[in-house]
Amino acid sequence: MTTIKSNDLTYDFKKKTSAGKIKIKVWGKSQIVMLLTFLSLFILTVYGFWTFDLKGISLIEATNETLYNLKVMFLQPSFSHFTLLDAVGQIGITLGLGFLSTLLGVILSLFLALFAAKNLSTKTVSNAIIVVVTFIRAVPTVLWVLILAIAAGLGSEAVILGMVLHSVAFLVKAFSESFEEVDEGIIEALRASGANWWHIVTHAVIPTTASSLLSWSFLRFETNFTVAVAMGAAAGAGGIGFELLMASGFYFDLREVGFITYFILVIAIGLELFSTQLKKRFLTNASA
Amino acid sequence: MALLHVKDVSKHYEKGKNVLSDINMEIFEGEFVSIIGPSGAGKSTFLRCINRMINISEGDIHFDGIDVSSLNKKSLRKHRTKIGMIFQHYNLVSRLTVIENVLHGRFGHKSTLQGVLGMFTEDEKMEAFHLLEKLGMSEHAYKRCDQLSGGQKQRVGIARALIQSPKLLLCDEPIASLDPNASKVIMDHLQSISKEMNITCIVNLHQVDVARKYSDRVIGLNSGRVVYDGESKALSSKAIHAIYGSEAGSLIME
Ligand SMILES: Nc1ncnc2c1ncn2[C@@H]1O[C@H](COP(=O)(O)OP(=O)(O)OP(=O)(O)O)[C@@H](O)[C@H]1O
Ligand SMILES: [Mg+2]
Repeated sequence: MTTIKSNDLTYDFKKKTSAGKIKIKVWGKSQIVMLLTFLSLFILTVYGFWTFDLKGISLIEATNETLYNLKVMFLQPSFSHFTLLDAVGQIGITLGLGFLSTLLGVILSLFLALFAAKNLSTKTVSNAIIVVVTFIRAVPTVLWVLILAIAAGLGSEAVILGMVLHSVAFLVKAFSESFEEVDEGIIEALRASGANWWHIVTHAVIPTTASSLLSWSFLRFETNFTVAVAMGAAAGAGGIGFELLMASGFYFDLREVGFITYFILVIAIGLELFSTQLKKRFLTNASA
Repeated sequence: MALLHVKDVSKHYEKGKNVLSDINMEIFEGEFVSIIGPSGAGKSTFLRCINRMINISEGDIHFDGIDVSSLNKKSLRKHRTKIGMIFQHYNLVSRLTVIENVLHGRFGHKSTLQGVLGMFTEDEKMEAFHLLEKLGMSEHAYKRCDQLSGGQKQRVGIARALIQSPKLLLCDEPIASLDPNASKVIMDHLQSISKEMNITCIVNLHQVDVARKYSDRVIGLNSGRVVYDGESKALSSKAIHAIYGSEAGSLIME
């Protein structure tokens, strides 16, 4: 056999700079667009700070005040308008809101995602679901709650409906993408043996994707918990969010705000740790 | 009468580009047939036309006295239960156990509800264990499939196909991902299935020597046409080169 000699290559692929050095980076369209975006953002930021209307507030004084408030809030947390037991109860309500909306969302999404997955559904049905779901996702949860409040009235019903709607929109995308990752060959093998669609879904697709479905659901639960905190205040669904609103906007009790914030933080960290464990257990199982 | 009767079959995915052209053959009960041919010749497409995973464009295929093209959805499922299929990449649900995967072969005989709830009779479970025993896999019955070697996975694939109680096995490159030892085990099993259980086997192969050794009959495909159809003993090296469209001496062979 012959080997290729280097002088057989007549065309030189190396690009040179004007100084004659070999180029490594090539300036394409995307790099230029990126650079222009950064430049304009930078200019806008500088311009924004330049033209702030400070209304006679001294920057140093304001910074000091803010730091003092933060100190009171986070270094001297305490509660005065309710007991620890109340706080636990309110957290329970918020968790309940998050859990209920996630559960309903997961059940609905599971069915919709099966029809949204390209490998399990027809093109028309799949595309139709994807379009609707993308639209729902594009509108923030708060807006959905306010829109639904027209019919259901401001309160926990509207909040749950809004959260379910947005959860479904999120989970249908996540679930259907998991379904689409299922090996086409497995589906083919079962179809070739005479199995019908429901057999394939329940005995091949769901078992294969179970751990990622669980991870997505729990991720959504974490999101729904934080949304439920905000909704408790904004849409009157009650729970710890409402207490937070009362403490800050009604009683101006900084110490209580600090206390509630810590409490929410603890729960959020707990959920995070739990979901990490969950993932780890399932992932080790998968590789075993 | 022949078990499988293929008459003037053509298949194109895009108009004017025939992947299969004018295929004619008869395959009889208990026969062991190998299909060889270069990549892209249409071997996989042909196998999938038989159980109508792919619809043919022209001609007709009769299997077990039934016109395959005329089947409606329900009778198509029934038709497919009579044909087992084995794949290069095994296509098992790797998170489930061996025995669960074997029982998947029974779905074709079940209603939606029975299948969804996984209601298998004791007889079916006994049969599953019996098949695993026969394939030397019963000790692994409760292992998850992702813990098995390739050769073991393929034996699970065979058990899943056999529990359908098929009349025909379609094998699409069953040993293409296996080492020589595991390949021999698999081919020996397929041979004994065809001889002892009288199940017809159609096997796509890339190894000419394996095709020659195991099969009763070899069919050579090239660019969607049958260029050889005859006894495996009669397969000359000239015929092989005609099938692969290559110059004599330029193929890797023993
Ligand atoms: N779904 C499809 N759509 C369009 N063309 C296809 C499709 N499937 C296969 N083909 C084409 O049909 C021809 C035959 O493919 P096939 O997979 O049957 O070949 P093969 O003989 O099995 O090849 P290999 O030995 O590589 O498996 C190829 O040219 C391929 O590109
Ligand atoms: Mg192929």
